[in-house]
Amino acid sequence: MYYQLILFIALVSVGFVFGRHAEQKHFKSILQREQSYAALLTFSMRFPPPELEIRDSALVAGNVVISVDYFKRIAAGLRSFFGGRVAVYESLIERARREAILRMKEAAMAQGASMIINVKLETASISKGAEGQVGAVEVYAYGTALVTPDTPAFTEVVLNQ
Amino acid sequence: MIYENRQVPEGINVSHEHPLKEFFALLAGLIVIIVTVVLVLAMLANYLAPLIPFSMEQKLLSQMDAKWQQEKVSGVDLQRQQYLQTLGAELASAMDMPDDIQLNIHYSKGKTVNAYATLGGNIVLYHGMLRKLPHENAVAMVLAHEIAHVKLRHPIVAAGRGITVMLALASMTGLGDNGMIAGLINQIGITSTLGFSRRQESDADADALLALQKHYGHVAGAEMLFEVLQEQATVKSPDFLNTHPGSAQRIQRIKDFSSAHPGDGKVTALPQYLRFEK
Repeated sequence: MYYQLILFIALVSVGFVFGRHAEQKHFKSILQREQSYAALLTFSMRFPPPELEIRDSALVAGNVVISVDYFKRIAAGLRSFFGGRVAVYESLIERARREAILRMKEAAMAQGASMIINVKLETASISKGAEGQVGAVEVYAYGTALVTPDTPAFTEVVLNQ
Repeated sequence: MIYENRQVPEGINVSHEHPLKEFFALLAGLIVIIVTVVLVLAMLANYLAPLIPFSMEQKLLSQMDAKWQQEKVSGVDLQRQQYLQTLGAELASAMDMPDDIQLNIHYSKGKTVNAYATLGGNIVLYHGMLRKLPHENAVAMVLAHEIAHVKLRHPIVAAGRGITVMLALASMTGLGDNGMIAGLINQIGITSTLGFSRRQESDADADALLALQKHYGHVAGAEMLFEVLQEQATVKSPDFLNTHPGSAQRIQRIKDFSSAHPGDGKVTALPQYLRFEK
């Protein structure tokens, strides 16, 4: 019982310290890359703007899997008892979603695209419902990258950074 | 037409409240709920379980199949058991036992340094415990402590408390789908029943000391029991995680009792068949 308590506190602390450090670092990197890639436009509309001259198009995708840590799991479990916003998972999903979009943008830039349309997101939970598993979240972003005559200049600027 | 992606302000999807603040608030809320439920159930068990007739306890036990019930005692072991039974009866007569309660003292060959009282007035003393006790007074302390449990109906109270608390915790853990939180709820629940268990032990100690005082005219030698238990303890964990009060505390209580009731302090020797090589 004594050891179980110590182990529990240790696991929660490790989860909190490392999980929080990783999260803060990740958000910093997300913010910085979002600014760098801002010129590559993303839209959810299904069809390209009619006046746009399109040279080429390609399916691009970005995929990310982020693990839940022990602290988040316990905190979410406590939340499931009382109900309400699961703040610890909200930040996790936010990170995964934005990271997936960034990776999709990187894929589009490699194609020399200036715009991604029809952007969609899929989420999946890995090892969902498995007893004692900490679990992870997967977010997959995909869309149609459009290459226009005026794009190469900007794409090269970003990729050469 | 000009297309653009405007910067979305931060903090819409993510709350900026420190996660530990929420964590501890929820944990504290959960602890308060569980402790309240356990407290109410344990107090009900304390009050209601002793109303169950002793004969019902014996019936309950007849449906169980404990190891000590099957153990065949013969030869010198039978002699030891008879000695314990006689000593137990003498101590019981100094303890105002209710008339309907019968004591059955069992000697078990087990090496465990332990003794316990269970349903139906049954008391089991392990060889492992007896071989460490140097004189009759220490053996009498063990017996009187277990007899006090029987007299105070502790086994049925503990069973009633255990079953109701387990049921309550099981229905609480069924609410969430998170296996880890189930473990946490059970730990908190069990830890909060331990206070009742420690209280029972202290009550049994106090009753046992009164019985020893009445039987021998002093309580000298009783502390040997806890010195033996103290030697056995490998891990020293905080009191709130234990079923029994700390041995040092129990020894201190005997010393306090002894100085309030001074006697000649002469300990009685054990018969040859209960003396063991150290």
